[in-house]
Amino acid sequence: MSRMPLPADRLVQPRLVGYDPTHPRPWLERIAYTLFFSALWVMVILAYGAVPALFRHYGWLSTTAGFLIYAAVEAVLAFLLAAVVALILIVVLRKYLGKVQERVGPMHYGPAGVFQTVFDALKLLGKEDFAPKRVDWLIFRLAPAIVFVSAFLLMVALPVAGGWVMADLNVGLLYIVAVSTLGAYGVVLGGLSQGNKWGLLGGFRAGAQLVSYEVPLALALLSVGVYSGSLRLSDVVEHQYGLWHVVPLFLSFLVYLVASIAELKATPFDLPEAESELVAGYNTEYSGMSFAFFFLAEFVELFLLPGFMVVLFFGGWHGPLFGLEPGSFAAGVLQSLYFLVKVAVWVWIFLWIRATLPRFRDDQLMDLAWKGLLPLALVGLLVAAFLRMFLEVL
Amino acid sequence: MRGPTTVEPVPGRTDELIINMGPQHPATHGVLKVVIGVEGERITRAVPHIGFLHRNHEKIEEARTYPQIITYTDRMDYVSGLQNELPFILAVEDLLGVEVPPRAKLIRTIFFELFRIASHLVWLGTGMLDLGAITPFLYTFRDREMILEITEKTAGARMLPNYFTFGGVRRDVHPDFFKDVAHFLDFFETRLPDYYALVLDSPVFQARAVGVGVLSRERAIARGASGPVIRASGVAYDVRKAEPYDAYPELEFEVPTRPEGDVFARFWVRFKEMEESVKIIRQALEKTPKTGPYKGKVPPRVKPKPGARYRAVEISRGHLGTYVVSDGSERPLRVKHRSPSFANLQLIPDLFVGARFADAIAILSSLDPVFGEVDR
Repeated sequence: MSRMPLPADRLVQPRLVGYDPTHPRPWLERIAYTLFFSALWVMVILAYGAVPALFRHYGWLSTTAGFLIYAAVEAVLAFLLAAVVALILIVVLRKYLGKVQERVGPMHYGPAGVFQTVFDALKLLGKEDFAPKRVDWLIFRLAPAIVFVSAFLLMVALPVAGGWVMADLNVGLLYIVAVSTLGAYGVVLGGLSQGNKWGLLGGFRAGAQLVSYEVPLALALLSVGVYSGSLRLSDVVEHQYGLWHVVPLFLSFLVYLVASIAELKATPFDLPEAESELVAGYNTEYSGMSFAFFFLAEFVELFLLPGFMVVLFFGGWHGPLFGLEPGSFAAGVLQSLYFLVKVAVWVWIFLWIRATLPRFRDDQLMDLAWKGLLPLALVGLLVAAFLRMFLEVL
Repeated sequence: MRGPTTVEPVPGRTDELIINMGPQHPATHGVLKVVIGVEGERITRAVPHIGFLHRNHEKIEEARTYPQIITYTDRMDYVSGLQNELPFILAVEDLLGVEVPPRAKLIRTIFFELFRIASHLVWLGTGMLDLGAITPFLYTFRDREMILEITEKTAGARMLPNYFTFGGVRRDVHPDFFKDVAHFLDFFETRLPDYYALVLDSPVFQARAVGVGVLSRERAIARGASGPVIRASGVAYDVRKAEPYDAYPELEFEVPTRPEGDVFARFWVRFKEMEESVKIIRQALEKTPKTGPYKGKVPPRVKPKPGARYRAVEISRGHLGTYVVSDGSERPLRVKHRSPSFANLQLIPDLFVGARFADAIAILSSLDPVFGEVDR
């Protein structure tokens, strides 16, 4: 794009503090975001690989005290990981929107603006956590916790590499459905408890949307379960050696993609918090850290839903191991990198959709869920069942 | 006949929620307040309240001399600032009997159409923001910036330039003017396909806009709508064709109309108007001599002969008319502005009732009111 030269007699040239538009320094951004990604990788290795391996190596898990310490350490690490994911994704979203919109995005705090979210979080911490007079106090306070906990609990079941998972549940797929539905309660209760009409409308919309999209999402998960013959997520990943599920289960994948964007409440489906319609929707009256928890949960889900998509349809941690023995720590490190890269690609696609599309209307949203996605999901389930039958026969 | 001024809850009815939308709602384009009753998501009643931006323009203008008033007219429709100066100037020129040189007329026309593009770009960006898309807003404001820079180079100010004057324009155009405008037009024509792809051709946008907020031809005429709103309802009314002013009689352009009268038609008409503006500016650039007189002979003290004059122009939002009554002194006896947004805003109860809440936002952004001009 060619920009018109500024008039020479203009007295004040526009210039951002700490940023010289004539020297954009793109290499600085690349270094900063590579470091960010590496930090995320290190956190994942610590939480999912290194600490469990350490406890197992010294046999501490066999004692009750050792197990309790392990559980506490893992909980703290998972929380830190959630925080790091949110911090990174928020600034990445803002930088990416900046790129799409031909502007620079955050530039002031840290090199290329990498610490912008840290300062935002500090600001939110310093703010008064205000509750209006008419709120239902207990529910008002509980709602952000429910939303965050539901996003946080999903982290436990995420397999990032061979044998690297905090809890390898034999009902993993059901666990995903159950826990992610819990988040809908938080949003609905938060909207309804705040005594604000915009919040009420946002809560209604959120309830209708999240409950409707749980159905096709659950059916898509079910078809994966049927096809791979197990509800355990690590088995689902193992089942994809040779052929990723996205090829045979393409319909279910499409359903999962659309439904997970709706679960994220991201742009074409951002009705519950539609700024131009409902002011701020279900989080109108939230401020300070209560608001931050809604925000945090949203971005943790922006990591987790593509994460589960990779696990279910894109072969999870699969990738060339270059002679490393599967199951070894080094292989785990490499596999977690493959997993994170796949997730990053999908997060990028989610952000791209968010930057491009306008918003649906509420009735169109319901039509899409019940008349479009639900039949498609049922057909996907049928396809999965037939393919499974043929596999059994062969 | 007066309509209802407020929305009272119906006793015993519990399924209707009454909401104050505005005056600080993000999608009301300034300071409109609409009290609406909603039944779930469907709007049952709507009463608009205006006056939050009332600044007493017309009374203030009675106490100012004629050249001072031009500055005030800029501030009515601040999004297309320069266009508002013209009806007042045309009326006073008629009263003064001033001859405007053809070059000045062409320069005025070029600026007039540039500001139409600028204003429609603001409408497009904020309208898409209301529909939930953030990116077009940044794109359109960047393109508008180029128009504002052209204006800044010539007139010294950006949004409210106070550039037109009796008998022509206040000073000659910047030496770069013709080059810059041609550059902008070339650039803008490369941007238009992007806007089509992001807005008119987007299936999500079409789902939101087609068949929403249908305004019939009869209703549009009865409410005195004008501008893109009435042209989207199938009425080819355009002041530039009906009562041509400045250089419009010698320029060729079309008046895009569409019979549907829905939100999509109003978006479509504004898109086509931007394309027509590009054509008009190209023709005018060819016709304008590089040098020559930019202002006719005007007496140093502007004292029109006693009488009254009404002149209208087609600004971005429709028919803007100014009625000037002179008693022969250097201050007008009375100035009255007829503003298009005010008339278009009367359509709110018609269009809102029965629509869904999200539709109401789309309808409001397709009417494109600017409150500086509604409240004056």
